[in-house]
Amino acid sequence: MDTTAEPLCERLATDLDDGFTELVRVHASTVHAFLLRVTGNAEEADDLGQEAFLRAYTALQGYSADRRRALRPRAWLMTIAANVWRNHVRTCVRRPVAGTRVEDSCESWPAAGPGPQERADTAADRAVLVAALARLPERARVAVVLRHVVGMSYAEVAGVQGCSVGTVKAQVSRGLGTLRELLEPEVALLREVTR
Amino acid sequence: MNRGGEWASQPEGRVETALAGLAGPAPGDFAARVLQRVGIPRDRYDTYLHLDAPVGGLYVAFGAESVTGSALGETLPGPRAFEEAHLARTGRSAIPTTRPLPGLRTALRTGRTKNVPMDLPQLTEAERAALDAVRTIPRGQLRPLAWIVRESGLTDSAAVTEALMANPVPLLIPCHRVTFDDGGPCDLRYGPAVGVALRDAEGIDDDLVGLSRSGTVFLGSDTTRIYCHPTCAHARRIARPHQVPFRSARAAREAGYRACKSCRPIAA
Repeated sequence: MDTTAEPLCERLATDLDDGFTELVRVHASTVHAFLLRVTGNAEEADDLGQEAFLRAYTALQGYSADRRRALRPRAWLMTIAANVWRNHVRTCVRRPVAGTRVEDSCESWPAAGPGPQERADTAADRAVLVAALARLPERARVAVVLRHVVGMSYAEVAGVQGCSVGTVKAQVSRGLGTLRELLEPEVALLREVTR
Repeated sequence: MNRGGEWASQPEGRVETALAGLAGPAPGDFAARVLQRVGIPRDRYDTYLHLDAPVGGLYVAFGAESVTGSALGETLPGPRAFEEAHLARTGRSAIPTTRPLPGLRTALRTGRTKNVPMDLPQLTEAERAALDAVRTIPRGQLRPLAWIVRESGLTDSAAVTEALMANPVPLLIPCHRVTFDDGGPCDLRYGPAVGVALRDAEGIDDDLVGLSRSGTVFLGSDTTRIYCHPTCAHARRIARPHQVPFRSARAAREAGYRACKSCRPIAA
């Protein structure tokens, strides 16, 4: 899967700045896609993506050359991104944004909904799917996005989630089941009837 | 149960493929902004973007102030392929951006690419000399290999054809404006179909190429007694009754004509 990993890690080990540039080039889209599908908000995904890469760079500065060489970049970045997102969710829960001034809400208003670009991108079907994805519980959402949007193996997802492969499989399967029910309620109903 | 299984098997694949379809590319300059925020010095990487041009547009990569590479859209399957090719050739990562180098868009639109700053450390001295000569060919004009050889101060045309084949900045270094000495187009970098499209976009009509093919290498004017390359801006102004075709520079000189000082035809 990580076909580009070897030369990339070699670059990371020999020259951090060069290697990091390459890391960003290869994996920026994946990290962004993951965060976008998990948060469901382009603005937030952008901020969290920057945050995740900043953390990755700080961490790499402390790593030895051998450790950088042994890195599996994609899974490692996804772990950081998932943690950044979890922290963000926790912060939002603890410090809910309340009582914003009128000016503030005015300023942030245009970014709240999907823009024309976003709307064109996620026309009809996709919009429904994205909405359904946002209704999954957090752990299941991360598991489903990592497995099916990013395309990681179950073992890699287990590494990111910090749990066993079996648990991940269960999360993904349950998540997909919920998605299917959300997408096609009549199918679910029928299944209940015929069962 | 049976019917349930039937229903379940269909949408199963559908949800998964739909999910896989959600993995789109990041917005245009996300990666560039990440590098800026992290504080990687600008001279450690190149940025690139896809600009409007004939033949599927042009990918152009550039550093802080000069162009480091380009590729025609039609010769590559996609942006990823351009990034890989750029990395393999220069050893530098090309990061997508949305802001072109100042002057680049204008240069492409007008075809006046002579003064676009370029930084091509991978080239040998001979290649650089040849490509610098190619850069001086004006838009809409053609020059034969021998002309490039003379202008670049090289000794033989093998070095020039090698440089043309290696041209790391197609279109911005206009190698489609080079012909063989017999007048036939010399599209070594990307094949004749692409070359024809590029020349069409510059208004180099097949008549002129055809004229060269029929044996006319130079065109003179019987009012000024000057001979030019047939695509030279001055040659194009010669009214048809005053056009005098020549097969060689020697023939022109023997007829009492002098060489044009703009296109400087080779005195063979």
